Amino acid sequence: MIHTMSLIHDDLPCMDNDALRRGKPTNHIVFGEETAVLAGDALLSLAFQHVAISTRNVLPRRVVQAIAELGSAVGSQGLVAGQIVDICSEGKQIGLDELEYIHVHKTSVLLEAAVVCGALMGGGHAIQVRSLRKYARCIGLLFQVVDDILDVTKSSEELGKTAGKDLESDKATYPKLMGLEKAKEFVIRLADKAMEELSGFDVVTSAPLYHLANYIAYRQN
Amino acid sequence: MVFASIFTPSPQVSCPKATSPIIRRSIRCGFSPVSAQFDLKTYWTSLIKEIDQKLDEAIPVQYPQQIYEAMRYSVLAKGAKRAPPVMCVAACEIFGGDRQAAFPTACALEMVHAASLIHDDLPCMDDDPSRRGQPSNHTKFGVDMAILAGDALFPLGFRHIVSHTPTDLIPEARLIRVVAEIARAVGSTGMAAGQFMDLEGGPNAVDFVQEKKFGEMGQCSAVCGGLLAGASDDEIQHLRQYGQAVGVLYQVVDDILEAKSRVEIKGGDNRTAKSYVSAYGVEKAMEVAEDLKSQAKRALDGLEKYGERVMPLYSFVDYAADRGFSIGESV
Repeated sequence: MIHTMSLIHDDLPCMDNDALRRGKPTNHIVFGEETAVLAGDALLSLAFQHVAISTRNVLPRRVVQAIAELGSAVGSQGLVAGQIVDICSEGKQIGLDELEYIHVHKTSVLLEAAVVCGALMGGGHAIQVRSLRKYARCIGLLFQVVDDILDVTKSSEELGKTAGKDLESDKATYPKLMGLEKAKEFVIRLADKAMEELSGFDVVTSAPLYHLANYIAYRQN
Repeated sequence: MVFASIFTPSPQVSCPKATSPIIRRSIRCGFSPVSAQFDLKTYWTSLIKEIDQKLDEAIPVQYPQQIYEAMRYSVLAKGAKRAPPVMCVAACEIFGGDRQAAFPTACALEMVHAASLIHDDLPCMDDDPSRRGQPSNHTKFGVDMAILAGDALFPLGFRHIVSHTPTDLIPEARLIRVVAEIARAVGSTGMAAGQFMDLEGGPNAVDFVQEKKFGEMGQCSAVCGGLLAGASDDEIQHLRQYGQAVGVLYQVVDDILEAKSRVEIKGGDNRTAKSYVSAYGVEKAMEVAEDLKSQAKRALDGLEKYGERVMPLYSFVDYAADRGFSIGESV
């Protein structure tokens, strides 16, 4: 829900102004801007309501920690921070540090929250939660680097969203800043680091996360 | 007016001073004979000071500065009455709750209130270039920043509750209920629904819009206070009915004052066609207000056993109806 609301708001005309998302017209194109803004707002609060009301068989202390985690990830220290720095750096030359800040906050933070909340609900202790947070940080960044690479190398139809936007808008991307080959090497390093964080867990139960990292690294859209 | 002699007019106040009660006083419908003597103004202004300070501490400017400036601009706006936080604290104290434990929730209510106002003012929504006599958030910071400031304030509210409420005073289970309550109030069955119908609904949507846009926040504020203090389900229901009635009452009286006044109120809420005044005229709106006043007080009758502790909420009904003194410029 939170992920969706951030996409709805990101696509708005005054933000990234995207007409296409996941192969379909964006929310504001179909329903109008005011409805899109409200739909995003409603989804955001529904997310918190849902966690609070529908979580079963978990200690209140952990549910509260999850709410804190989500609250952090969505707001001015998370998604919003990433979007702000992204907007403010458009048209400017930015370095790898700033690019990483943008991606960590626009993408990684929510993945971290997802993984951390899962670990909290599942009864993980602090050290385990920390490893999983680092895993998520890696795959979050990984997702964006691969996204940048695909934007350069694929078409809209294959991607399911508007391609070539980054090149057109002169936005900073990993291929642009590092070169395509180095960006691909970075992908491999991030994927390996993510797997490393999982090494302390049971092979069977951590398999989904392991394969998810692989998928994110080597996907085609 | 009781408070006229101690009230010092502030340059920001543009509301016309009432020389007689806006709503004719009905026969005493409360249970307490001393309600007229409760010093609501002092109670309220001292709470505002504490809440303002805590809000200032809750949103320190960090990187990236622009978003924090935008958030602070709306949350710390001069002249804000802080009705939601004050109602929350007052409700909490009825049941013997510690106001220090209520402050994080009180602040969160103000944050989500500010967030919803920022979004309401957007060009694609009510399109208000000003609020409380100042440029609205998007006018000052741009539409993209305003959307994001609202998006940041909602989750900050939830986080603030869970990170700042002392859990030795308030068990986590209650915090969860508070979060659920606020989320419900601002969401698709609450304020968002009200705003949507305000923009898209037909002329018959007046009741719905008023209840959802204004009743919800009142309801939520009072209920959260009760939840924090461990009030019973029955007591929570009374708070809910009170909050709903007083929230709408406040707005109806605002609309009546604006309609009656010859001076245009600058920076007030955008009056859409979905107010009681626009839909039914001033006379009918005054009847509605009278009815709401009774409803609100009747709801508090159910909390009779708490005696004087109900005073702040009780007095607030009279204030909402009569505006016997001035606190800031707008809710």
